Amino acid sequence: MRTPAIAAITVAAALAVTGCGRPAENPSAAPQTAATVAEGPATGELTIWAMGAEGQKLPDLLKDFEAANPGVKVTVTAIPWSAAHDKFTTAITAQKTPDMAMIGTTWMGEFAGLGALDPTPASIDKGAFFPGAWGTTEVGGTSYGIPWYVETRLVYYRTDLAKKAGITTPPSDWDGLKAMAKAMQDKAGTKWGINLQPGGTGSWQTVMPFAWSNGAQLNNGDQWTFDTPQMAEAVKYYQSFFTEGLTNKTPAQGATQEPTFVDGSEPMFISGPWMMSAVEKVGGKGFADKYSVFPMPVKEKSASFVGGSNLGVFKTTKNRDAAWKLVQWLAKPEVQVKWYQMSTDLPSVTSAWQDPALTADTKLATFGKQLETAVAPPSFATWEQVAARFDAEIEKVAKTGADVDASLKSVQAEAQSIGTGG
Amino acid sequence: MSASTIAVPPLMEAAPSPVAPARPGKGRPGEGRAAWILAIPFTLLFLAFTVWPVAQSLFMSFTDTRQKDLRTPFSVNFIGIDNYVRALSDPVFQRAAANTAYFVVVGVPLTLAVALLAAVALDKGITRFRAVFRLGFYTPVITSIVAVAVVWRFILQPDAGLLNTVLSWFGIQGPNWLGDVQWSMPSLILMAIWRNFGTGMIIFLAGLQAVPYSLQEAAAIDGANTWQRFWHITFPLLRPTLLFVSVTTAIGYLQFFEEPFVMTQGGPLNSTISMSMYTYNQFGYGNYGVATAMSYLIFVVIAAVTAIQFRLLREKA
Repeated sequence: MRTPAIAAITVAAALAVTGCGRPAENPSAAPQTAATVAEGPATGELTIWAMGAEGQKLPDLLKDFEAANPGVKVTVTAIPWSAAHDKFTTAITAQKTPDMAMIGTTWMGEFAGLGALDPTPASIDKGAFFPGAWGTTEVGGTSYGIPWYVETRLVYYRTDLAKKAGITTPPSDWDGLKAMAKAMQDKAGTKWGINLQPGGTGSWQTVMPFAWSNGAQLNNGDQWTFDTPQMAEAVKYYQSFFTEGLTNKTPAQGATQEPTFVDGSEPMFISGPWMMSAVEKVGGKGFADKYSVFPMPVKEKSASFVGGSNLGVFKTTKNRDAAWKLVQWLAKPEVQVKWYQMSTDLPSVTSAWQDPALTADTKLATFGKQLETAVAPPSFATWEQVAARFDAEIEKVAKTGADVDASLKSVQAEAQSIGTGG
Repeated sequence: MSASTIAVPPLMEAAPSPVAPARPGKGRPGEGRAAWILAIPFTLLFLAFTVWPVAQSLFMSFTDTRQKDLRTPFSVNFIGIDNYVRALSDPVFQRAAANTAYFVVVGVPLTLAVALLAAVALDKGITRFRAVFRLGFYTPVITSIVAVAVVWRFILQPDAGLLNTVLSWFGIQGPNWLGDVQWSMPSLILMAIWRNFGTGMIIFLAGLQAVPYSLQEAAAIDGANTWQRFWHITFPLLRPTLLFVSVTTAIGYLQFFEEPFVMTQGGPLNSTISMSMYTYNQFGYGNYGVATAMSYLIFVVIAAVTAIQFRLLREKA
């Protein structure tokens, strides 16, 4: 019986301590300015965290940097994506961060909100990057890093089946996309017209390009704007693919797009550049000539989702100058091209796309073109949570034919109660 | 009362006991201090790693703590029971609670039944290769959930999965097990039973082997048939074992997390999201206040369910 008593006393003591409550002012609200970076070659030791394949391949690329800056030694710590977010937040809380890191674009708001990231120095030219990608580094008007590599989404389609369906030039607008899906089913005899994600994690990445294309926005300042007519129209358009039987409502759990794309039962889907090698691997030799990609269809404009990863420098670094010099080096067009050849990560620097390594492939060039108009969600710390509620409502809309206006109203109410984390 | 007082021989009271215990606090000097010193390492560890986290999380559940407050855990606002109200009025949390109840109410009795059946079969029926079967039934318990999930996804695959292929031999068109709102939860329950009954089986087996053979023999001589012997002798003697297995299984199932986490991510349409999983998601979003409040709600439910089980299954006096 003594334990509850001790616990009660501890709780009471803890409660007494909290009489003070939150400090009235929010230190992260004001835009921050960055100090300049010193001239000359980088020196000293640097630690950088990188996730997934990037973490494996980065040490090879950095050999060139070390050769150009003899006084520097860079250690790359590769961490798996699944553990990365927890590892970062723990490190930030404990103030044991590396000097710099590869940071997922959707984490920027959270980490900057924690006061962990160093603002980007003015010597880095924001005009060199794709504007949508640069937007992912900005939190509350201040940029905290640079886009390292990018990806965006396009419509993949089977050229051979499209020919059978009587389509030789890919459609450019919403009606054309739907007509093409219908023609695939009716004339080419495919089981489904197009593969679209029926809700679930990340389905907003396929829905939002349509909404952006229709002039909808996710937020206006620090207010969410899910309940606009433009958003509703886009989601209704998305829903119509399911209600008209053009898209499978219940794909198997964990199914990927490659097998059904290759066997022709789903001759179209919307995804990112990594799917090129994935479908060619499943499709085998010669499959590269049986499919192509086209930009997201236009309503008011063509818009897509821009993803990828950023590079950031942590405030706790003891070697700030060298860290930003490495960031600048990684953003050089020739380094970006070399990195593309090593990792197939698409360059975030627009001038790198002039390189023959990227212009030679027409599919890749289409991705480069789409990147100019691709959009990123706002860098709010609460975005992941809001996105999960949005995904859940998309699932209802797609699978059960739920009323779009009611669904969006409920997303809006929940998003507003979750807030923007400011 | 008075009669017994009189009956006490007066001599006894006067006679001093030869080994009279020292009254507490008046023992050899230093003994009490030594006891405290010896207890200090444990006490400190207990305070630091058991009491403190419990106290802090309880405190957190009454505040608006978010992830970015972790470095300054006390400069947060005290908001009373708001987090609890928010959790209880959250439609997804309600759905998660209903799903968890479904999982426990259907899953626990079925798991116990299968475990008991397997234990009886191993105890009486199967004599050859008993060790092989015992190992086989127990293997799912010690297999990684990730490997299990991969295999079960193949089994439950709608078009070419093992289960639907077998069903099609009998002319039955199997459903899209994990993709259908009606069937997703039964699929997970099936998988959970398969994965967990081994533990119960091993404990039941130990319980069965502790039933004295002489009782069985005596009942047999009195003319009791196999079923009567099981129902009137084995089963009542298994009661403590049954209590133990049902309490541990229910606690495990009330916290069920891994199955939806690896198989369905809570979908389709939140039909398999569990309380633990939803709580985990809230921690992931950095809403530590609401998430700890949800954790305490789960704790209260587990405590209540366990108390009920103890009441229903305790030894009859």
